[in-house]
Amino acid sequence: MAAVLNISGLSVDFATLRGPLRVLDGVDFSLEEGEILGLVGESGSGKSVSAMTVMGLLPDTARIAAGSIRLGGRELVGLGRKAMRPLRGRDMAMIFQEPMTSLNPVLTVGFQIAETRMLHFGESEPAAMRKAVEMMEAVGIPDPAARALDYPHQLSGGMRQRIMIAIAMAGEPRLLIADEPTTALDVTIQAQILDLMLDLREHTGTAILMITHDMGVIAQMADRVAVMYAGQIVEQAGADDLFDRPAHPYTNRLLQSIPSARHRVDRLKIIPGTTPSPRDFATGCRFQPRCEEALPRCQTEAQALADYAPNRLVRCWRCFEPAEGVA
Amino acid sequence: MAGIFSRLSAVWHSDLALRFRRNRNAMIGSILVSLVLFVALFGGLFAPYPYDRINMAVIWEPPGAEFLMGTDALGRDVFSRILIGARISMLVAASVLAITFVIGVTLGMIAGYFGGWADTLIMRTVDIIFAFPELILAILVAAVIGTGTGTVIVALSLVWWPGIARLTRSLVLSLREEMYIDAAISSGTHPARILLRHLLPNIASPLIVRASVGVGFIVMAEATLSFLGIGVQEPTPTWGGMIRDGLDSLRTDPHLALYSSLALGITIIGFNMLGDGLRDLFDPKMGER
Amino acid sequence: MSDTPLLEVRDLSKSFVVERGFLGAPRKELHALNSVSFTMAEGETLGIVGESGCGKTTLGRMILRLLEPSGGRILFQGQDITGLSQRELRPFRRAIQAVFQDPFSSLNPRMNVRAIIGEPLENFGASRADIRRRVGELMEVVGLRPDMMDRLPHAFSGGQRQRIGIARALALNPKLIVCDEAVSALDVSIQAQILNLLADIQKEFGLSLLFISHNLGVIRHVSHRIGVMYLGQMVELASERELFEAPQHPYSRALIASVPEPDQRGNRRERPLQGELPSPMNPPAGCTFHTRCPLAVARCRTDVPQPVETQGGGMARCHFPGLLNHSQLEPA
Repeated sequence: MAAVLNISGLSVDFATLRGPLRVLDGVDFSLEEGEILGLVGESGSGKSVSAMTVMGLLPDTARIAAGSIRLGGRELVGLGRKAMRPLRGRDMAMIFQEPMTSLNPVLTVGFQIAETRMLHFGESEPAAMRKAVEMMEAVGIPDPAARALDYPHQLSGGMRQRIMIAIAMAGEPRLLIADEPTTALDVTIQAQILDLMLDLREHTGTAILMITHDMGVIAQMADRVAVMYAGQIVEQAGADDLFDRPAHPYTNRLLQSIPSARHRVDRLKIIPGTTPSPRDFATGCRFQPRCEEALPRCQTEAQALADYAPNRLVRCWRCFEPAEGVA
Repeated sequence: MAGIFSRLSAVWHSDLALRFRRNRNAMIGSILVSLVLFVALFGGLFAPYPYDRINMAVIWEPPGAEFLMGTDALGRDVFSRILIGARISMLVAASVLAITFVIGVTLGMIAGYFGGWADTLIMRTVDIIFAFPELILAILVAAVIGTGTGTVIVALSLVWWPGIARLTRSLVLSLREEMYIDAAISSGTHPARILLRHLLPNIASPLIVRASVGVGFIVMAEATLSFLGIGVQEPTPTWGGMIRDGLDSLRTDPHLALYSSLALGITIIGFNMLGDGLRDLFDPKMGER
Repeated sequence: MSDTPLLEVRDLSKSFVVERGFLGAPRKELHALNSVSFTMAEGETLGIVGESGCGKTTLGRMILRLLEPSGGRILFQGQDITGLSQRELRPFRRAIQAVFQDPFSSLNPRMNVRAIIGEPLENFGASRADIRRRVGELMEVVGLRPDMMDRLPHAFSGGQRQRIGIARALALNPKLIVCDEAVSALDVSIQAQILNLLADIQKEFGLSLLFISHNLGVIRHVSHRIGVMYLGQMVELASERELFEAPQHPYSRALIASVPEPDQRGNRRERPLQGELPSPMNPPAGCTFHTRCPLAVARCRTDVPQPVETQGGGMARCHFPGLLNHSQLEPA
């Protein structure tokens, strides 16, 4: 079965005053049908840029320098705006962090959902509006027929995010890209939204690319996880493997530095230093300046994402030479 | 010595300078403005003739080798008068800018930061002055205190400070909620200090833009008043007055009106372009990363 | 240690007028904070946690007197500071400082680090030489290089700017620091650094911290005691251990259960808390939580629960604190 999404060797450059800046470097990952892939990383890791690139929403100052993006086998790199438009909303849909800025304030929420149906399925407005109300019910909005006539500002944050999801799902996409969908929501509302997304995945079989910095959200949602650091994927594994036995030093340290509400430690393990900006990516391993298990070769030789175990990839020299002395 | 050069070089290559150099408006604008300012400051040295030398033998001379831009109805050299006119225009502009900004920024900051009755009082005054068309007000003032350069400055200042006050107030209102203001209050900082050290430097950019564009307006207004005969008096040359003088003879001897209009136009365009360019520069920068 | 608590808050309330009637009489009010009471001892960290509209930020701002209370009292070291004018408040400003959320807007972008950290010192009359020396000391305490003190904020990363903010808060040797979402805007790996730093300086300087956050994991890590807020009221106040091992209020329980964590993967947990957060302008009658409480009964809809002491020695605003399910209820 062709993967729903297949990214290979993707590199993206941003134009700056001082020349092009590579913010994504040789990124590979794929999504199977009905799978939830968690893309996790901190600021500057390139996770949001990845999402934008897939949807073709990069600003004019950015360009895809290399690589391929295949949606259901179809190559997206190089497609012009015209060719991309019918795909967006239909084959792939995206939901964002701030529903207030992604919803049109002067259109009713029902209409915004119906628009997707009218555009991509050619339905008439009345038929599309009926479907919109159905979708609103499916995403858990009470009294959907009445709410369909509301404007975005009349709804709460959690409701608006549900509308975003309804708009996205109205196109019956095979791929849903969710970029920090719950970061701006309160934690009890977040729980509801995540629950909803899992329900939808079960009922419709839509694959979800879940992008977030929150490891807890990833743990709850993802089947597989790809960890990004400094524009590259540094580890990729099934969720269980990743959380039980993290391989890459960054993943390991990251998990240890998050304070848990379930159990308390006296002192958090920290990762020294700061996340680098694209201008300052190190040569060799990009995590090496902050890594406490670095080998001498980590400073000079960059590594590729390599097989570590069945269905596990890791970009690290140390992982393959655990016994050697530290640099 | 080397230290100074490396500092200058660092500035030249800094982000701000790079963007400035790429910004066409800013570059052209600053060239024109520099030209005008240079003429205003040093033009008198280059004037081939005294601006008030009347010579009835050479009235309405067309532009030529002897009189670069020709002469006017009294045989005075137009070129020299244009050069001196620059000084007058810039003098008035500088004075009005200084007065309106000092008054307007101070009152605007007080109104915006403290609110309450001070705000009401200041803003109602602003509204009242805004109710009058600028020119009418300027003419009224002139009628009361007489004509002359001083009148022009007073009249234009009176008409202009409310706009600055209003702009400053809205800038302060938006900055007042910034967390560093909260931090300063929590640290026990005195309100006057907060205004001067925290608010003023952070509202400077839009005010500078406004000043730059404002010069264009002031110069135009001054020219208008002179054109109407209310402003700067003869024999001191002003571009507005020269345009008026040249209008009657536009068909036969257009050079007077033409060159003075050109001078006025270049000045206004220059300041406007500089202002536009600065506005683009100061805007939240496009993401570099 | 003296008996007088460092900070005591009694029935603190705050209302904002949202709409005025014909002659200026308030018609619609937003009750941001409703009768909140607690104390803090020296050297303790009190965590305040809650979701949007709970009033935790308003609480922090009132303790800093950036906002005036509508009702109630604030006592610092036994002295009532509620009604003091800004001028009379000045001596207390030395003792109560703040670290703010946004490392980007909490520092004046046009002032260099020395001026920023030195400002509190300057306000209280320190000499330039003193300021320079002290700023250098403070920068070292928070892990910054003193030779960077002439630089502007934009030269620093988010985590470093937050350290600058902490250095500024320490400048006057305060007794209490209000941390309002102090790590929320930071990357996870940087967050841990700052939390460790705060723990260190608390120990070294014997500080009390009022730590406000929406992040339960962070709150658990830093706090000795925790106050849980919902719609302007403090619904539970308990020690860190008590709150997480045996939460007494249904909201506390639901809040803790809602946080997704790496060690509870896969299994879809108990159904999340239903319903929306009510608007602070139209709080529900009776117990404000009753609209979403899985255990609400008739009484909860009509009677406002008063603070009661709980088994673990804490406080809960609930008619049935500690109740786990309806079968435990005695017949009415």
